[in-house]
Amino acid sequence: MTETGEKKGLPDVFIEPINMSELDRGFRKEIQSMPNGEELSACFACSTCTSACPVANIWEIKPHQLIRMIILGMREKVLSSKEIWLCLTCFECQERCPQGVRVTDIFFDCKNLAAEENMIPDSIVALGKELLEKGQLYIVTADWEREDLDLEPDVPGLSTDAVKRVLGGTRTGRLVKGGK
Amino acid sequence: MSIYSLYMGCSVPANYPNYEASMLKVAESFELTLEYLNDVACCGSPNLRAMDYWGWALVNARTLALADITEHDIVTPCNGCFGSLKDVYHLLKHDTEYRTSINVELEAEDLEFTGTSRPRHFIEVLYTDVGLDSIRKKISKPLDGVGIAIHYGCHLLRPGDVTEITPEVLSELVRVTGAHVVEYPLWKQCCGATVLPVDEALAIRLARDKLKSMKEAGAAFVTVVCPACCNQLDLQQLGLRELYGEKFDLPILFYPQILGLALGFDEDEVGLGMNRVPAKPILQHFSK
Repeated sequence: MTETGEKKGLPDVFIEPINMSELDRGFRKEIQSMPNGEELSACFACSTCTSACPVANIWEIKPHQLIRMIILGMREKVLSSKEIWLCLTCFECQERCPQGVRVTDIFFDCKNLAAEENMIPDSIVALGKELLEKGQLYIVTADWEREDLDLEPDVPGLSTDAVKRVLGGTRTGRLVKGGK
Repeated sequence: MSIYSLYMGCSVPANYPNYEASMLKVAESFELTLEYLNDVACCGSPNLRAMDYWGWALVNARTLALADITEHDIVTPCNGCFGSLKDVYHLLKHDTEYRTSINVELEAEDLEFTGTSRPRHFIEVLYTDVGLDSIRKKISKPLDGVGIAIHYGCHLLRPGDVTEITPEVLSELVRVTGAHVVEYPLWKQCCGATVLPVDEALAIRLARDKLKSMKEAGAAFVTVVCPACCNQLDLQQLGLRELYGEKFDLPILFYPQILGLALGFDEDEVGLGMNRVPAKPILQHFSK
């Protein structure tokens, strides 16, 4: 046991200091300019979002902390966090925010910014690849089941070309071609 | 007789023709004309929204614009498609700048989002346009008060200001069939479908907790209105036997299957044999 200020069971540092020089002051504005991001500043860190989240228990950085980190400008930490990709998108947090902050929508915005910088799980890019190559996420495999029920053999009304064409020219196309 | 533009998405037709067929039967019973909307794109799911918001908004705006031409509301049986369409509809209705940029892109195909056609979930059409009274009158084989737990699915109910659907819509529809709605603690909890590609163990655990909560509350059957939720609760249930050593034996039915049976359709017409956890035990609960 060392003597360096460590009293029984207490950590050396209670709160990791934030390095002010690493903050990106524009991050808040960046999110606020994205879809449903405007209400961000209304957050007063009550952590109702965290209480509502079914999986916050296993998140190192909790939902209310992510929101606070965005406001402070901790852009890189937020965008590289695994938590934003583990959001269930169940909207429980957003629904209960007493300040009308669109928490889930803001996490969607964060994922878009992260994706733009290639910080995106491979499995999500793989879904994008499916969409680009097949034009749909699910393919009919058991066509006899459809036949048994007098349904037309393929997915009704679907144009796979439309998806391929549209997403080929957007970020999905760039991410998939980028070979990440 | 009302006419609607039907948007199936890809998951229901590919994985759950029993949902599609039972919905069509039920619609026919109430003289709802569902016309397949042609040339539409896959909604991309919340995962496309996460990766490429603009692309997601564009494919869904395109679908909405195609529905606008028909001047009929666009109806879907899938919570995922409903969530995407309704969210993009909400965005374009409220953000004129975004709407202008989207319409500039759509112009290449001579399309325009006008917002005339409203995206609606099939069960909300049943609830609002048909109504509980008309449904009650047509029920020839009511259920005997058997306990059914409802898994609403997140994107059916939330965000509430976007979806504009309250839980009563589905719970009243279940009650009108003669079933008892079983309340359970985790009724709001997510099935885990969206995180399946990123963290499979977490997704399965969420489904398992949900099933456990329903079973412990005394549910004999479960109803869903979303193919992704059905994957999680029905299909994954088989895997849970190995993973957790737990056997729930909780049949998962799409709501139109239950209503269809109560309206007098036979089990083959609602594709009851296609449900992964055998659902036939429910037949004993309909009056003869």
